[in-house]
Amino acid sequence: MIRDRLYHDLTNRGVTGWVVAGLLVWFYVALYFTESLTPWAQRVGLSSKWDLYGLLYTVVVVVGGIGVIRKYGHNRYQVVRTAVVMFVQVVFAFSVPMLLKALHQPEYYLSYFWPLKFDYMNPEYLFAQPWPFVVYTLAASLVGVPLLGALFGKRWYCSWVCGCGGLANTAGEPWRHLSDKSSAAWRFERVSIHAVLGISLLLTALLFYSWFSGSKSPAVAQFQTWYGLVVGSILSGAVGTGLYPLGGTRVWCRFFCPMAALLGITQKAGKRFHIRVKEDMCISCGLCSKYCEMGIDVRTYAQRNESFTRASCVGCGICAEVCPRGVLRLENQSGLVQISGVSLS
Amino acid sequence: MRLVVVGNGVAGVTAAMAVRARDPRAEITIISGESEYFFSRTALMYAYMDVMQRRDLEPHERKVYREQRLERRLDWVVDLDAGERTVRLMGGESLRYDRLLLATGSRGRRAEWERELDGVVRFVTLQDLDACERLTPGTRRAVVAGGGLIGVELVECLRHHRVPVTFLVREASYWPAALSAEEGAMVAAHLRAQGVDLRLETEIASLEGEGRVSGVTTRAGERIACEMVGVTIGVEPNIDWLRGVKTPPKLARGVVTDRAFRTSLPGVYAAGDCAEVAGRIEPLWYAAKRQGEAAARAMLGDTVEYTPPTDYNSAKFFHLEWTGVGETAAGPGRFRKLPGREASVRVIEREGVVVGFSMLGSRWNHRVLARWVEERRRVEEVVSRLPEAQYDGEFGRVAL
Ligand SMILES: Cc1cc2nc3c(=O)[nH]c(=O)nc-3n(C[C@H](O)[C@H](O)[C@H](O)COP(=O)(O)OP(=O)(O)OC[C@H]3O[C@@H](n4cnc5c(N)ncnc54)[C@H](O)[C@@H]3O)c2cc1C
Ligand code: SF4
Repeated sequence: MIRDRLYHDLTNRGVTGWVVAGLLVWFYVALYFTESLTPWAQRVGLSSKWDLYGLLYTVVVVVGGIGVIRKYGHNRYQVVRTAVVMFVQVVFAFSVPMLLKALHQPEYYLSYFWPLKFDYMNPEYLFAQPWPFVVYTLAASLVGVPLLGALFGKRWYCSWVCGCGGLANTAGEPWRHLSDKSSAAWRFERVSIHAVLGISLLLTALLFYSWFSGSKSPAVAQFQTWYGLVVGSILSGAVGTGLYPLGGTRVWCRFFCPMAALLGITQKAGKRFHIRVKEDMCISCGLCSKYCEMGIDVRTYAQRNESFTRASCVGCGICAEVCPRGVLRLENQSGLVQISGVSLS
Repeated sequence: MRLVVVGNGVAGVTAAMAVRARDPRAEITIISGESEYFFSRTALMYAYMDVMQRRDLEPHERKVYREQRLERRLDWVVDLDAGERTVRLMGGESLRYDRLLLATGSRGRRAEWERELDGVVRFVTLQDLDACERLTPGTRRAVVAGGGLIGVELVECLRHHRVPVTFLVREASYWPAALSAEEGAMVAAHLRAQGVDLRLETEIASLEGEGRVSGVTTRAGERIACEMVGVTIGVEPNIDWLRGVKTPPKLARGVVTDRAFRTSLPGVYAAGDCAEVAGRIEPLWYAAKRQGEAAARAMLGDTVEYTPPTDYNSAKFFHLEWTGVGETAAGPGRFRKLPGREASVRVIEREGVVVGFSMLGSRWNHRVLARWVEERRRVEEVVSRLPEAQYDGEFGRVAL
C-alpha cells in the first residue's frame, strides 16, 4: 500500500513528482550553464560533461527500455520498436560518436538530422565537413526525412529512431499519461510548434544568406546564439526532459520540436499512416486518451467511429495496446482514412 | 421543445446531444443523482486500479455542456406526473417537459442472502467505487460472488491491489452464457494463473459478521473468512423508483416501449439499460448509445423502427481479450486452440451455416464476422476466410 501510494504520488504530480522534476531541472541547469559536472566526467575517465551526459542518457534509455519490453512483452510492435530505439541510442547516438572522438575524428550523430540538429544545416559548419557527411546530411534532411514521413508517418523517426523520443518511450514510461488532453493544449500546440519551425527555417535561411554573401551580420550571430539557448538548452533540455514528472514525456516533442513539426506536416500530407477505429466497439473508457503521450484525445475519435491522422501522433502504439476492446489499430496504407475537416489538425 | 432526460449515462447524454445537434432552440435538462457529469461506467475498474483518475472517466470535456447548452441537475427524480407533464426532484424542484426520456440504466441485482453489512459491495455506480476504495486497505481477503463480466472486473481490481480473492461462480464452467466449456476452462486457467482462487459450482448461503462482514458460508457449508464481499450476480433495469410515482409508465422487466422508444405515457420515452424495447433488453454500452441516438430521432418526430443489429460484444478477462458475435452459446461449434498461445477461435454453425463466433486471445473485426453471419455464409468458406477478419496489431498477427 505504501509502495502504491508513493508510486501514485511520483506519477501523478504529487510531492515526490515535484521533487524529482526539481532535481531534473537543476541537473539540466548545471549541465548547460555550469562546469560543475566536468570533474564528475573526468572521475569516470570521460573528457567532457557532454560525454558523461551521453553515457547517462544511454544507460537510462537501456534500463527503461528493458522495463518497457517486460511490461509490453506480449505486444510485438512494442518489443520491436523499443529494441530499435535502444539500439539506435546505444550505437548511433553514443558508441559511434565516442569512437570517432577516440580516433580524433569529428563526432557525428548520424541519427540526428536538421532541423532537430540545427548545426547540421549551418553552411559554415556543414561545408567544412568531409564530403560523405555533407552528402549524408543533405540527402537525409532534405529528401529522406520528408519522404519517409510521407510514406510511414512521423513514427519512423519520432518513436523508432529519435533520442528524445527514445528517452520518453523508455525511462519516461511512468509519466506518459501526464500529457495535457484539453483542446486548449491542442490549440497552443499548433501555434507553438509551427512557430518554432518557422523560426528555425528563418534562421537557416539567414545563415545561408550570410554564407553566400560572405558577410555575417552580428544580428544573425546573436539570433543563432539565442536560438541555441532558448530552443536547444531550455526547451529541449530543461523543459522537455526536466518536466517529465509534471507535464509528461513529450513536452518538447509536442510543443516545440521543429523536426516533429516538419514530420507532422508530411504525415498529414502523405495520408498513409493513420489510426483505424473499429466501428461501434468503443466503450469510451478513455484509456487510449489517458496514455497518449502526445495529449491526443483518442477517445473522441474512437467514440465517433472516426479513423484519423493527427499531425502530432508519433505512432508509439500505446493507445492500441491499452485499449481493452481492441478498437484501435495503427495502419500504414493509403485510401482508408476518413478525412473529416473538423477532426484533422 | 423542452426535453428532460432522467439519467446522465450514455443513453441519456447521447440522446441529449443528438437532439441538440438538430434543434438549436430546444431547452435540455439532464438529471442524475449519481454524478454531476456523464462518466464511463465501463471504466470504473480503471479508476479502482488507479490507472485513471475520476476526471479521466468523463468522455467529454466539461465545457461541451456549456457550449451545447445542456443544463445539468445533480439530483434524483422522485415523481412523474404525465397529466401535468412534470417530474419532481428529491430537492423539491419541479420540471416541465414536452418530451421526457427515461434513461436510468441498470442496478446491481440483490442476492437473497444479502444483509446490510459494511464490506458488502456492488460494482456499478461511482458510490460503489467509493466504497470499494475505502474498504480495500483493510481487506485481507475478498470474496466475489457471480462470474459475469462485472465480477471478473472487480476481481481484477482487487488482484491489482494484491488482495487475495476467492471468486465464486455458480455454474460448472466459466461464463456459459457465451463461452463453451473449453473456452471456460481457458479463462479459468488464466484467472488461476493471476492468483485468483476460482471456485466453480459454488454459491454463498449466508454472510457472517456484525457491522462489517467477516466471512461467508457456502452452500456446501464451507466458511471463508473475508472482509469484503462483492455481489456481482447480474444487473436489472433500474425501474423500481417508477412504481411509486403518480403516473407510472407500463413496466415489465424494464420500462416497456415500442420500436420508437415510446412508453405507455404520452411524450415519455425510454432508452438504454432500463428500456425493454419490443420485448428485449440490451444491457450493453454500444446498445445504450445506439438507442440514445435513435430515441433522439423519435423524440424529434422522425419515424423510427429500432431493430438491433447482429449481437456482438467484447470483454477482457485480465489479459485475455474476447470477441463474440452472433449466437455464441448456440453450441460447441468448430473450436480450435491456436498452437503455442493462449488463444482460440470458435465458429458456431447450424446446418452448415455460420451463426456465431467466439474468439479468445487475439483481436478481431466484429464487423466482418457479423457480416458473414448476416449473409448466412457456409462454415467451410468462413473458416478459410478467417484471416480477413483478424485485427491484431502490426507484427502481432496471430497464426491461425
Ligand atoms: C462495471 C461495469 C462494466 C461494464 N462494462 C461494459 C462493457 O465492457 N461493455 C458494455 O457493452 N457494457 C458494459 N457495461 C454496461 C454499460 O455500462 C451499460 O450498458 C450502460 O452504462 C447503460 O447506459 P445507460 O445510459 O442506459 O445507463 P447508466 O449508464 O446506468 O446511466 C443511468 C443514469 O441514471 C441515473 N439515475 C437512475 N435513476 C435515477 C433517478 N431516479 N433520478 C435521476 N437519475 C437517475 C443513474 O444515476 C445513472 O447516472 C458495464 C457496466 C458496469 C457496471
Ligand atoms: S481505449 Fe479503446 S474502448 Fe477505451 S476509449 Fe479508447 S478506443 Fe474506446
